[in-house]
Amino acid sequence: MLKTLRAATFEVLETMFFLFPEDPEGITPDFGGLGLRAWVPVAGPQPFRVGITVPLGLAREMGGNFLGITPEELGREHLEDVVREAANMIVGAFLMRSRASGAFLLRPPTLEMVDLNRPPGAAPPHRIFLCVGDFGLEVMMELAPPAAPRPRPEREAVVR
Amino acid sequence: MAYNVLIVDDSATMRALIRKILVISGFDLGESYEGADGREALNIVRSRRVDLILSDLNMPGMDGAALVKALNAEQQQAGIPVVLITTEGRPEVLEPLLKHGVKGYIKKPFRPEAIKAMLGRIMGEASVHHAQDLAGCDF
Repeated sequence: MLKTLRAATFEVLETMFFLFPEDPEGITPDFGGLGLRAWVPVAGPQPFRVGITVPLGLAREMGGNFLGITPEELGREHLEDVVREAANMIVGAFLMRSRASGAFLLRPPTLEMVDLNRPPGAAPPHRIFLCVGDFGLEVMMELAPPAAPRPRPEREAVVR
Repeated sequence: MAYNVLIVDDSATMRALIRKILVISGFDLGESYEGADGREALNIVRSRRVDLILSDLNMPGMDGAALVKALNAEQQQAGIPVVLITTEGRPEVLEPLLKHGVKGYIKKPFRPEAIKAMLGRIMGEASVHHAQDLAGCDF
Protein backbone atom coordinates (compact mmCIF):
# COMPACT_ATOMS: atom_id res chain seq x y z
CA MET A 1 0.00 0.00 0.00
CA LEU A 2 2.76 2.47 0.95
CA LYS A 3 4.63 1.55 -2.23
CA THR A 4 1.56 2.48 -4.29
CA LEU A 5 1.06 5.71 -2.34
CA ARG A 6 4.70 6.59 -2.89
CA ALA A 7 4.42 5.94 -6.64
CA ALA A 8 1.24 8.05 -6.80
CA THR A 9 3.01 10.91 -5.00
CA PHE A 10 5.96 10.76 -7.39
CA GLU A 11 3.61 10.76 -10.39
CA VAL A 12 1.73 13.85 -9.22
CA LEU A 13 4.80 15.85 -8.20
CA GLU A 14 6.65 15.07 -11.40
CA THR A 15 3.76 15.51 -13.85
CA MET A 16 1.98 18.55 -12.43
CA PHE A 17 4.65 20.33 -10.42
CA PHE A 18 7.89 19.41 -12.22
CA LEU A 19 9.41 18.41 -8.90
CA PHE A 20 11.40 15.23 -8.38
CA PRO A 21 11.19 13.73 -4.90
CA GLU A 22 13.87 11.54 -3.38
CA ASP A 23 14.30 9.50 -0.25
CA PRO A 24 16.02 11.67 2.35
CA GLU A 25 18.98 9.37 2.82
CA GLY A 26 21.70 11.29 4.58
CA ILE A 27 19.90 14.60 3.98
CA THR A 28 18.01 16.68 6.51
CA PRO A 29 15.46 18.59 4.47
CA ASP A 30 13.78 21.77 5.70
CA PHE A 31 10.58 20.69 7.44
CA GLY A 32 10.06 23.50 9.92
CA GLY A 33 8.14 26.73 10.28
CA LEU A 34 4.62 26.97 8.98
CA GLY A 35 3.12 24.41 6.67
CA LEU A 36 -0.14 23.42 5.06
CA ARG A 37 -1.75 20.06 5.67
CA ALA A 38 -4.54 18.75 3.44
CA TRP A 39 -6.54 15.60 4.07
CA VAL A 40 -8.70 13.90 1.48
CA PRO A 41 -11.29 11.55 2.97
CA VAL A 42 -12.29 8.62 0.78
CA ALA A 43 -15.62 6.88 1.34
CA GLY A 44 -16.07 3.28 0.29
CA PRO A 45 -15.97 -0.31 1.48
CA GLN A 46 -12.80 0.48 3.44
CA PRO A 47 -12.89 4.21 4.23
CA PHE A 48 -9.54 5.93 4.53
CA ARG A 49 -7.97 9.33 4.22
CA VAL A 50 -4.75 10.56 2.73
CA GLY A 51 -2.95 13.64 4.01
CA ILE A 52 0.02 15.65 2.89
CA THR A 53 2.02 18.16 4.91
CA VAL A 54 3.85 20.77 2.88
CA PRO A 55 6.14 23.46 4.31
CA LEU A 56 5.14 26.90 3.00
CA GLY A 57 8.39 27.21 1.05
CA LEU A 58 7.64 24.03 -0.84
CA ALA A 59 4.02 25.08 -1.35
CA ARG A 60 5.29 28.28 -2.99
CA GLU A 61 7.60 26.28 -5.24
CA MET A 62 4.76 23.93 -6.17
CA GLY A 63 2.40 26.83 -6.89
CA GLY A 64 4.99 28.66 -8.97
CA ASN A 65 5.71 25.59 -11.08
CA PHE A 66 2.03 24.71 -11.36
CA LEU A 67 0.98 28.11 -12.69
CA GLY A 68 4.21 29.10 -14.35
CA ILE A 69 4.59 32.25 -12.26
CA THR A 70 7.14 33.39 -9.70
CA PRO A 71 6.49 32.29 -6.11
CA GLU A 72 6.23 35.99 -5.14
CA GLU A 73 3.15 36.37 -7.33
CA LEU A 74 1.27 33.68 -5.44
CA GLY A 75 -1.37 34.59 -2.90
CA ARG A 76 -2.37 32.54 0.10
CA GLU A 77 -5.44 31.27 -1.76
CA HIS A 78 -3.19 29.90 -4.52
CA LEU A 79 -1.02 28.06 -2.00
CA GLU A 80 -4.01 26.51 -0.25
CA ASP A 81 -5.58 25.53 -3.55
CA VAL A 82 -2.36 23.95 -4.81
CA VAL A 83 -1.89 21.83 -1.68
CA ARG A 84 -5.54 20.70 -1.78
CA GLU A 85 -5.25 19.86 -5.49
CA ALA A 86 -2.00 17.95 -4.93
CA ALA A 87 -3.60 15.84 -2.18
CA ASN A 88 -6.64 15.22 -4.35
CA MET A 89 -4.53 14.11 -7.31
CA ILE A 90 -2.37 11.85 -5.14
CA VAL A 91 -5.50 10.03 -3.95
CA GLY A 92 -6.84 9.77 -7.51
CA ALA A 93 -3.55 8.34 -8.74
CA PHE A 94 -3.40 6.01 -5.73
CA LEU A 95 -6.87 4.61 -6.48
CA MET A 96 -5.99 4.16 -10.15
CA ARG A 97 -2.79 2.33 -9.31
CA SER A 98 -4.58 0.22 -6.70
CA ARG A 99 -7.18 -0.77 -9.30
CA ALA A 100 -9.79 0.00 -6.67
CA SER A 101 -13.35 -0.71 -7.65
CA GLY A 102 -15.78 2.08 -8.49
CA ALA A 103 -17.27 2.10 -5.01
CA PHE A 104 -14.70 4.57 -3.66
CA LEU A 105 -15.65 8.23 -3.58
CA LEU A 106 -13.31 11.15 -2.94
CA ARG A 107 -14.66 13.76 -0.56
CA PRO A 108 -13.61 17.44 -0.72
CA PRO A 109 -10.21 18.00 0.92
CA THR A 110 -9.84 19.75 4.25
CA LEU A 111 -6.94 22.10 4.86
CA GLU A 112 -5.20 23.43 7.95
CA MET A 113 -2.18 25.55 8.70
CA VAL A 114 0.27 23.69 10.93
CA ASP A 115 3.30 24.71 12.93
CA LEU A 116 5.95 22.20 11.91
CA ASN A 117 8.23 23.26 14.77
CA ARG A 118 5.81 21.90 17.35
CA PRO A 119 6.54 18.35 18.44
CA PRO A 120 4.33 16.06 16.38
CA GLY A 121 1.73 13.89 18.03
CA ALA A 122 1.52 10.17 17.37
CA ALA A 123 2.57 9.55 13.78
CA PRO A 124 0.01 7.80 11.61
CA PRO A 125 0.90 4.15 10.99
CA HIS A 126 1.29 4.71 7.26
CA ARG A 127 3.65 7.57 6.62
CA ILE A 128 6.13 8.48 3.91
CA PHE A 129 8.69 11.23 4.27
CA LEU A 130 10.28 12.51 1.09
CA CYS A 131 12.83 15.09 0.15
CA VAL A 132 11.74 17.55 -2.54
CA GLY A 133 14.60 19.88 -3.35
CA ASP A 134 15.55 21.49 -0.04
CA PHE A 135 12.23 20.69 1.62
CA GLY A 136 10.61 17.74 3.32
CA LEU A 137 7.19 16.44 2.34
CA GLU A 138 5.03 14.19 4.47
CA VAL A 139 2.39 11.86 3.00
CA MET A 140 0.12 9.95 5.37
CA MET A 141 -2.64 7.43 5.14
CA GLU A 142 -5.10 6.50 7.85
CA LEU A 143 -7.57 3.69 7.56
CA ALA A 144 -10.94 4.19 9.19
CA PRO A 145 -13.03 1.32 10.41
CA PRO A 146 -15.64 0.36 7.81
CA ALA A 147 -19.06 1.80 8.48
CA ALA A 148 -21.26 -0.50 10.51
CA PRO A 149 -24.06 -2.05 8.44
CA ARG A 150 -27.34 -0.26 8.83
CA PRO A 151 -29.73 -2.05 11.13
CA ARG A 152 -32.66 -3.50 9.22
CA PRO A 153 -35.78 -1.48 9.95
CA GLU A 154 -38.19 -3.37 12.05
CA ARG A 155 -41.38 -4.15 10.25
CA GLU A 156 -44.11 -1.87 11.39
CA ALA A 157 -46.96 -3.56 13.11
CA VAL A 158 -50.02 -3.51 10.99
CA VAL A 159 -52.86 -2.05 12.90
CA ARG A 160 -56.16 -3.33 11.67
CA MET B 1 -12.86 30.46 -35.85
CA ALA B 2 -12.31 31.30 -32.21
CA TYR B 3 -13.94 29.01 -29.68
CA ASN B 4 -15.56 30.20 -26.47
CA VAL B 5 -14.57 27.85 -23.67
CA LEU B 6 -16.12 27.35 -20.24
CA ILE B 7 -13.78 25.93 -17.58
CA VAL B 8 -15.53 24.37 -14.58
CA ASP B 9 -13.53 23.42 -11.49
CA ASP B 10 -13.92 24.21 -7.81
CA SER B 11 -10.23 25.11 -7.70
CA ALA B 12 -9.53 28.62 -9.03
CA THR B 13 -5.88 27.65 -9.41
CA MET B 14 -6.74 24.65 -11.58
CA ARG B 15 -9.00 26.86 -13.73
CA ALA B 16 -6.14 29.30 -14.18
CA LEU B 17 -3.78 26.48 -15.16
CA ILE B 18 -6.18 25.07 -17.74
CA ARG B 19 -6.76 28.50 -19.24
CA LYS B 20 -3.03 29.04 -19.46
CA ILE B 21 -2.56 25.72 -21.24
CA LEU B 22 -5.24 26.67 -23.78
CA VAL B 23 -3.47 29.94 -24.54
CA ILE B 24 0.03 28.49 -24.74
CA SER B 25 -1.02 25.48 -26.81
CA GLY B 26 -2.17 27.71 -29.64
CA PHE B 27 -5.82 26.77 -29.25
CA ASP B 28 -7.99 29.34 -31.00
CA LEU B 29 -9.49 30.71 -27.80
CA GLY B 30 -12.22 33.33 -28.02
CA GLU B 31 -13.83 34.17 -24.70
CA SER B 32 -13.03 32.03 -21.68
CA TYR B 33 -15.53 31.70 -18.88
CA GLU B 34 -15.12 30.06 -15.48
CA GLY B 35 -17.50 28.33 -13.10
CA ALA B 36 -16.80 26.81 -9.69
CA ASP B 37 -19.46 24.10 -10.02
CA GLY B 38 -22.14 22.75 -12.33
CA ARG B 39 -24.74 25.28 -11.22
CA GLU B 40 -22.51 28.24 -12.14
CA ALA B 41 -21.66 26.53 -15.42
CA LEU B 42 -25.33 26.13 -16.32
CA ASN B 43 -26.01 29.80 -15.65
CA ILE B 44 -23.17 30.72 -18.00
CA VAL B 45 -24.20 28.43 -20.90
CA ARG B 46 -27.76 29.73 -20.68
CA SER B 47 -26.64 33.32 -21.18
CA ARG B 48 -23.51 33.11 -23.34
CA ARG B 49 -22.34 31.32 -26.45
CA VAL B 50 -20.14 28.43 -25.29
CA ASP B 51 -18.48 26.12 -27.82
CA LEU B 52 -16.69 23.77 -25.43
CA ILE B 53 -16.85 22.87 -21.74
CA LEU B 54 -13.84 21.57 -19.81
CA SER B 55 -15.14 20.34 -16.49
CA ASP B 56 -13.97 18.65 -13.33
CA LEU B 57 -16.09 15.73 -12.15
CA ASN B 58 -15.90 15.84 -8.36
CA MET B 59 -17.05 19.24 -7.17
CA PRO B 60 -19.05 20.32 -4.15
CA GLY B 61 -22.56 21.39 -5.09
CA MET B 62 -23.53 20.29 -8.59
CA ASP B 63 -20.82 17.90 -9.82
CA GLY B 64 -19.66 17.24 -13.37
CA ALA B 65 -21.95 14.23 -13.93
CA ALA B 66 -25.00 16.25 -12.86
CA LEU B 67 -23.89 19.07 -15.15
CA VAL B 68 -23.72 16.68 -18.12
CA LYS B 69 -27.21 15.39 -17.33
CA ALA B 70 -28.58 18.92 -17.00
CA LEU B 71 -27.02 19.97 -20.31
CA ASN B 72 -28.56 16.98 -22.05
CA ALA B 73 -31.95 17.86 -20.62
CA GLU B 74 -31.83 21.33 -22.16
CA GLN B 75 -32.25 21.13 -25.90
CA GLN B 76 -30.28 24.30 -26.65
CA GLN B 77 -27.25 23.18 -24.65
CA ALA B 78 -27.28 19.47 -25.47
CA GLY B 79 -24.82 19.77 -28.35
CA ILE B 80 -22.01 21.50 -26.46
CA PRO B 81 -19.01 19.17 -26.32
CA VAL B 82 -17.87 18.38 -22.79
CA VAL B 83 -14.41 17.13 -21.81
CA LEU B 84 -13.87 16.00 -18.23
CA ILE B 85 -10.58 16.82 -16.52
CA THR B 86 -10.63 14.84 -13.32
CA THR B 87 -8.77 12.86 -10.69
CA GLU B 88 -11.37 10.15 -11.30
CA GLY B 89 -9.74 7.75 -13.71
CA ARG B 90 -11.76 4.60 -13.30
CA PRO B 91 -13.42 3.50 -16.54
CA GLU B 92 -16.49 2.15 -14.73
CA VAL B 93 -17.22 5.71 -13.57
CA LEU B 94 -16.24 7.54 -16.76
CA GLU B 95 -17.43 5.24 -19.55
CA PRO B 96 -21.16 5.69 -18.79
CA LEU B 97 -20.71 9.46 -19.11
CA LEU B 98 -19.30 9.02 -22.62
CA LYS B 99 -22.70 7.71 -23.62
CA HIS B 100 -24.27 10.94 -22.41
CA GLY B 101 -22.46 13.50 -24.50
CA VAL B 102 -19.04 13.59 -22.86
CA LYS B 103 -16.51 13.65 -25.69
CA GLY B 104 -13.53 12.52 -23.71
CA TYR B 105 -11.70 12.72 -20.42
CA ILE B 106 -8.27 13.67 -19.18
CA LYS B 107 -7.03 12.23 -15.95
CA LYS B 108 -5.27 14.44 -13.40
CA PRO B 109 -2.32 14.53 -13.10
CA PHE B 110 -1.98 15.39 -16.77
CA ARG B 111 0.65 16.77 -19.07
CA PRO B 112 -0.32 19.94 -20.97
CA GLU B 113 0.09 17.97 -24.19
CA ALA B 114 -2.84 15.77 -23.14
CA ILE B 115 -5.22 18.75 -23.24
CA LYS B 116 -3.84 19.94 -26.56
CA ALA B 117 -4.22 16.47 -28.09
CA MET B 118 -7.76 16.04 -26.78
CA LEU B 119 -8.90 19.42 -28.09
CA GLY B 120 -7.29 18.72 -31.42
CA ARG B 121 -9.27 15.50 -31.68
CA ILE B 122 -12.57 17.00 -30.60
CA MET B 123 -12.59 20.47 -32.14
CA GLY B 124 -10.60 19.53 -35.21
CA GLU B 125 -6.94 19.95 -35.87
CA ALA B 126 -7.64 23.40 -37.37
CA SER B 127 -8.38 24.74 -33.90
CA VAL B 128 -4.89 24.05 -32.67
CA HIS B 129 -2.85 26.03 -35.13
CA HIS B 130 0.50 27.68 -34.63
CA ALA B 131 0.99 25.02 -32.02
CA GLN B 132 4.13 25.49 -30.07
CA ASP B 133 6.22 22.70 -28.77
CA LEU B 134 4.85 22.50 -25.26
CA ALA B 135 7.79 20.52 -24.05
CA GLY B 136 9.81 23.71 -24.03
CA CYS B 137 7.15 25.90 -22.45
CA ASP B 138 7.62 27.29 -19.00
CA PHE B 139 4.55 26.09 -17.11
